[in-house]
Amino acid sequence: MKQILLITDGCSNVGVSPVVAAAHAKAEGIAVNIVGVLDYGDVGELGAAEIEEIARAGGGLSRLVNTRQLSQTVQMITRKTAMQSIQLAVQKELKNVLGNGSIEALPPDKRSEVVRVIDELGETTKLQVALLIDASASMKPKLRAVEEAIHDLMLSLQARQGGSEIAVFHFPSSKYGDDCMMDLDWTDNLSGVSSLFPKLQMNGTTPTGPAIMHVIDFYRRGDYGRKSRDETDGMMSDYVV
Amino acid sequence: MTTSFKINLRRGMAVTGKWKRNRYQVERLLGEGANGKVYLVQRDRSWYAMKVGADAVDLQSEINVLQALAKQEKPGGRSRQDTLPGGANGEPFLIDVDDLYGPDGREYSFYIMRYVRGVTLSEYLSQNGKEWFPLVGLNLLNKLAALHSKGWVFGDLKVENVLVADYGYVELVDYGGATAAGRGIRQFTEIYDRGYWNAGSRSADAKYDLFSFGVLCLQLLEPKRLQQLTTGLPQNRSIEELLQLSKENETLKPVSEWLHRALTGDFWDAAEGAEAWRLLMHRRQLRRRSDTPGWLKGLAAVSAVLLGVSVYWLLRGGL
Ligand SMILES: Nc1ncnc2c1ncn2[C@@H]1O[C@H](COP(=O)(O)OP(=O)(O)O)[C@@H](O)[C@H]1O
Ligand SMILES: [Mg+2]
Repeated sequence: MKQILLITDGCSNVGVSPVVAAAHAKAEGIAVNIVGVLDYGDVGELGAAEIEEIARAGGGLSRLVNTRQLSQTVQMITRKTAMQSIQLAVQKELKNVLGNGSIEALPPDKRSEVVRVIDELGETTKLQVALLIDASASMKPKLRAVEEAIHDLMLSLQARQGGSEIAVFHFPSSKYGDDCMMDLDWTDNLSGVSSLFPKLQMNGTTPTGPAIMHVIDFYRRGDYGRKSRDETDGMMSDYVV
Repeated sequence: MTTSFKINLRRGMAVTGKWKRNRYQVERLLGEGANGKVYLVQRDRSWYAMKVGADAVDLQSEINVLQALAKQEKPGGRSRQDTLPGGANGEPFLIDVDDLYGPDGREYSFYIMRYVRGVTLSEYLSQNGKEWFPLVGLNLLNKLAALHSKGWVFGDLKVENVLVADYGYVELVDYGGATAAGRGIRQFTEIYDRGYWNAGSRSADAKYDLFSFGVLCLQLLEPKRLQQLTTGLPQNRSIEELLQLSKENETLKPVSEWLHRALTGDFWDAAEGAEAWRLLMHRRQLRRRSDTPGWLKGLAAVSAVLLGVSVYWLLRGGL
């Protein structure tokens, strides 16, 4: 299972539309969740609508919260979407087997069996979550809460029986011309990591769409990397930049 | 998401299960939480609690836990009153599972469980007095111990999910967080969570429930100060802060050493915790019996002197 979790507080303003980018992610089998953080100032009606649409396009969930609810929301939304992905996959299987797509429509005893399988898979399937953090100027006072939420998410993921990994990105990158920068490569452990976002230089743009594309690319490269590692002669290594 | 959960059943409404056709008459709303609404209903002149789920899959997952527990129940195997889930007189906890058509025409799934004629823990203590706290605590620990012995962890232990009936009889409701040992806790509430206090993992083990039990004690007796602790910096949250609260509270002081052990994971499971709690209660009673009557102490002192004197004379006589 692959997810992107976007944490932002406002509208994107440069580059490809984040809705289009999220739809790309979904096409690659990556669900996009998004949490809008409200505290100071607000996301506005436009922001709220965009947030909802990104999640819809990305096959994930959206929530608007204040920083105090961030940790709880991040772990909850990640879990729900993971369960939903499993549910969709199981539902597809059901369609083949029973000619009936909806779990809710099953009689109670059959439903019980199916949900048992969903719970089992939800607990044991490998899960990757790429966190994409909006680090534009208005987010600065919220980054501490974001870091806390990331640590909290790691704690929840570590309790799963299936393997779980997170990676962390922020955007815009402080380097000129880059939309997005990686802060942390795939890991299943945050215990030595004290600060994820040291000395960020905030600038005004919010390239949410391009940043999502960047992370999709990262996922893709990771998959190639893994494949080429499996192959003896590393044929694919040319693709791995 | 499931924020569109607006089902509203009114008094007198009749609900017929879609699959099994059992008929229930709605009396009133008993309570609601994140996963559903619970109504008091009547069927064949008996009262039950009906939980209507916001999400059919989530509710089924909870029902699966209840069914698994019911299967593990060996009939006639236990002698203690805390057999779980179920009543003192052996009636099952989970009674029926079905779907209903709501007034809005949509389908909702529900389950029927035993109606617990009780109030939440905090209401119970404010109605009946804090002197009930040690007993209610013990009963709750016994409930948890029964779950632990079956390989389950309750998970979402909190004030709202514990009902207390007459004479401190305790019942756990809401198995949405119940998790097989070794898995990730399925549902929890931040302030009761071991991870939130930087005190350990979110893997289901019996110690997880004991940690929540410890926080629950503070929530019952020092709710305001506990709330204050949550406003500090997350990296500063610690067991020490929690223990400090317990030491400064009149009711909790006698169990603060016990709480220390619960919060640090020193008890293996709730059975061990319950045993230690029980001993503590008895020791307290003994101590109290020995300090109250001052004249007895005096008498003891006098008799000690008399004994000393007689021993002296005896020894002298023997020489
Ligand atoms: N069997 C029961 N008997 C009486 N009241 C109940 C029963 N089950 C639940 N309740 C009441 O309904 C409330 C909500 O039920 P709960 O199962 O905790 O829902 P949720 O999973 O949404 O938190 C509880 O806090 C309790 O007050
Ligand atoms: Mg509840």
